[in-house]
Amino acid sequence: MSWNFQEIRETVRREAEQISDPKDLEAFRVKYLGRKGLVQDIYASLATLPHEQRPVVGKSVNDLKNDVSGIVEEKIKTIKAGQARDPGEDIDVTVPGVTVPPGHKHILTQTVDDICGMFERLGFVVQEGPEIETEFNNFTALNIPVDHPSRDAFDTFYLELPDPDRPGRYQLLRSHTSPAQIRVMRKYQPPFGVIVPGRVYRPDAVDASHSFMFHQIEGLLVNEDVKFSDLKGLLTVFCRRFFGEKIKMRFRPHFFPFTEPSAEVDISCYICDGKGCSVCRRKGWLEIMGCGMVHPKVFVAAGYPEGKYTGLAFGLGVERIAMLKHGIQDIRLFFENDVRFLEQF
Amino acid sequence: MKISLNWLKDYVTVGVSAEKLAHKLTMAGFEVEKITAVDGDTVFELEITPNRPDCLNMRGMAREVAAILSTRLKPVRTSGLKFPSRPCDIRILDKKGCTRYIGTLIRDVAVADAPDWIKRRLGSTGSRSINNVVDITNFCLMETGQPLHAFDYDKLCGGKIIVRRAREGETIITLDGVERKLDPSILIIADEKRPVAVAGVIGGRDTEVTRETKNILLESACFDPVLIRQAARRLGVSSESSYRFERGVDYDAAGAGADRAVRLVLDCAGGTVAGRSDVRAAGKRPKSAAIILDTNKANGFLGVSLAPSRYKKILRQLGFQAAAGKKDTLRLRPPAFRADLKEEVDVVEEIARVIGYDNLPVSLPSVPAASIAPETRRGLRQAVRELLLAQGVDETVTYAMVSEKSLARAGQGEPGGVKIRNPLASDQGILRPSLLPSLLSVAAFNINRGQKNLKLFETGKIYTASGEREALGVVLAGRHEEDWRENRKGAFDFYDIKGIVEQTLARACGQEIRMAASPCVFLVPGQGVSVAVAGVTAGFLGKVNEEALEAWDIRQKNVFFAQIDLEELRPFFGKERMCRPVPEFPAVVRDVSLAVGIDVSFQQVCATAFRLGRGILHAVKFSGEYRGEKIPAGNRGIVFSLRYRSEERTLREEEVNEVHEKIVHAFVCELGAIQR
Repeated sequence: MSWNFQEIRETVRREAEQISDPKDLEAFRVKYLGRKGLVQDIYASLATLPHEQRPVVGKSVNDLKNDVSGIVEEKIKTIKAGQARDPGEDIDVTVPGVTVPPGHKHILTQTVDDICGMFERLGFVVQEGPEIETEFNNFTALNIPVDHPSRDAFDTFYLELPDPDRPGRYQLLRSHTSPAQIRVMRKYQPPFGVIVPGRVYRPDAVDASHSFMFHQIEGLLVNEDVKFSDLKGLLTVFCRRFFGEKIKMRFRPHFFPFTEPSAEVDISCYICDGKGCSVCRRKGWLEIMGCGMVHPKVFVAAGYPEGKYTGLAFGLGVERIAMLKHGIQDIRLFFENDVRFLEQF
Repeated sequence: MKISLNWLKDYVTVGVSAEKLAHKLTMAGFEVEKITAVDGDTVFELEITPNRPDCLNMRGMAREVAAILSTRLKPVRTSGLKFPSRPCDIRILDKKGCTRYIGTLIRDVAVADAPDWIKRRLGSTGSRSINNVVDITNFCLMETGQPLHAFDYDKLCGGKIIVRRAREGETIITLDGVERKLDPSILIIADEKRPVAVAGVIGGRDTEVTRETKNILLESACFDPVLIRQAARRLGVSSESSYRFERGVDYDAAGAGADRAVRLVLDCAGGTVAGRSDVRAAGKRPKSAAIILDTNKANGFLGVSLAPSRYKKILRQLGFQAAAGKKDTLRLRPPAFRADLKEEVDVVEEIARVIGYDNLPVSLPSVPAASIAPETRRGLRQAVRELLLAQGVDETVTYAMVSEKSLARAGQGEPGGVKIRNPLASDQGILRPSLLPSLLSVAAFNINRGQKNLKLFETGKIYTASGEREALGVVLAGRHEEDWRENRKGAFDFYDIKGIVEQTLARACGQEIRMAASPCVFLVPGQGVSVAVAGVTAGFLGKVNEEALEAWDIRQKNVFFAQIDLEELRPFFGKERMCRPVPEFPAVVRDVSLAVGIDVSFQQVCATAFRLGRGILHAVKFSGEYRGEKIPAGNRGIVFSLRYRSEERTLREEEVNEVHEKIVHAFVCELGAIQR
């Protein structure tokens, strides 16, 4: 048997031109590539051919098979493309999409999480303490003298809850997160690094930059050989990561009863690059946290052996940081919870 | 505090520019907040920390400048004073309140304008000139830090000075012309008959030195800081004098201050000293204890390598007595005016401060791996927060103080919470017993500003006499977020708050959440349930009643609230979850539509089904509720599906039918349901 491949190819081409719908295409495919199609026929009869013809016919039939397959693939695409659009699929894609929009995490929470997260990555562990505290933890243990003004009712909220340690005195709302340091030290032995976020309270009249409730984050690292240079290094790493690598920093001597030496950390104002603007009150510097080396008396109050440990501590106001970072002008916005404020962050 | 650069130069040589000096002062712990040029002078506004009352004057600052710039202090003239042996009539009745009182009687002074140089000095720091005698007291206060007061001696009844507590009902008209009520908590200076000054705070008008004054009594005293602070606060007066006494005035400085003032009065106003008394209520103050400084240890702590001699030089400039001890130690005695220096670390800080913190090295601490367990309270809070955020609920942060009155108006009986002894305002009188007042206030605030559709939560503390507990509060108001595809844009209802709370709790702690109808304060009867986690009641949720809405000024009806005590969830938080096999065999689902009496709950329907489910009923899925004409009166229609499944095999049709028929039969016979 012999085949005129030239003619077959011609027929294929002609037939292919006539194909316009999937039914024709399927008939075409079966005719050539089906189980009983022409290509199979030729393959089946190869064995009956003389040896010398087999390679020639074999190659021709392979070519034919590839040609037809190619045409079929091609036709599927053109048929699909030529089909009219299903009217049911015809939609206005410019109408808004629909979802349950995720809620907004309060910007104070975000700030706390960011700061704590940075210290956690440096090896610190987050700890918390209660808001209702004793005078001992809030003042005495932190080396704040009995007659210190911050103990007055003008500076601290006292509660109708008798102080178990001091008859005739009352428990209070912590005026800073530092009492949590005392709790951690009374519970755990060094070495450790802890970071303590939390709400604190002071009876300040409310205005654009004061609130009787606000948030602080406190850090404490205690070991046998913590040095002043460690304090500088740690807070430099933090400030660069949090405020950007470009900022300048300075450590300014300050006073806190529970640290010695004590310092305040200033960063160059990133609004004006240190040139002086209204945000930094023309100083070019922004005061962002207090810090120092833990006062030996605090270790004594915590029950640690005298002289065995040194430590560093720092504290910052979350509202202040959030206000600086996000350009929030009034501290009251945090606590009014206008949803149009909340939804910005 | 304001200081004038020209004035400062009277006491110390300043070889650097004003800007450079300001920077050096800032970096030594005296932050210069502002620099202003005033008539050829430069005025610094300094922040002096409360531990440094010794620097609230020009001499003190000059001493610091000398140490910082390594220059010398210039001496001040007080010489040539001779006092007569005649005493003044001074008595101290409150010996704790007043430890020392120096009175100097100067006769025949000529009260007139102060000399220009004094006026100029005082003017540069914003102080108004009155007359030479008063200006001299102010000048000496600024120069030496010792507050002084001058009385018109002839107006002191009986020529007496008595330091005592005020008596109940006594009053005084102070220098500012205000009549002030006094009480026994206030220390006063009195004459024979009446108060003539509020000790350490402000003088009295009646004994004021005026141009007619001939004879003066000059007071230089030491008062108790706490008494002065309390009196100043009670009277609402803060003066240069009280500011310094509150922070502590050096006991020894009273003499020097008095001498300087007497010298200046004699020089500028003439007169002669006619009497002098130095009454000490306490004996001589004991010498401050010696401090041993180990310079090697200090070097290590600061990361520097300074020679002991350098330490000695710096400390001497700050007024220390310093002697070399054994093995690089120094034996130190801090100056009397530095009550803040008690220990070795205090001295180390002085060194660090004078060198400048910025000149000290930087290192990175190794943060040890601590064996401190993470806070489950925080972990749980974060998990709950993320779940609520994912459901579109916004987080709020609210004040812990609430109004007792609103709570009483909305609730029943005792409001609970913890009372604040010194509240800022009457509507912030108690620490909240519940998150409801806080969240309803936020809702009211938003609704009043036109934000009527709210989904809000807070995780915060609630307070009881036995302590504080962490709680979750959720409030829903108004309508769902708009979905333009829905025909019905639904108002929030009970099932919204129920769903949010159920999902959040179940996901956060992996426990069964049960809710049971229960009357709740603040909630509408019939639309309130208690919420139990693993069998323990942890909170409540439902529709807020009208009393509560009124109490917090909400003019909108559809408000729903939930509160969950997160402490009850903590035991379950963070537990490992073990994997169960994924179901291998298909479930068979049968839909059921019933009309049941309105007193029959879906919970009863479920219980009935499971009782007869023979272990192959694994879920009942509620799909709808209908009330209307097609349902007999007193009934409602419910639609749900029963899902059957086995973990071992594919269930056969007959097997499922048998169980299902029995269950449906029970719905009809036991619950009185009608199949629809």
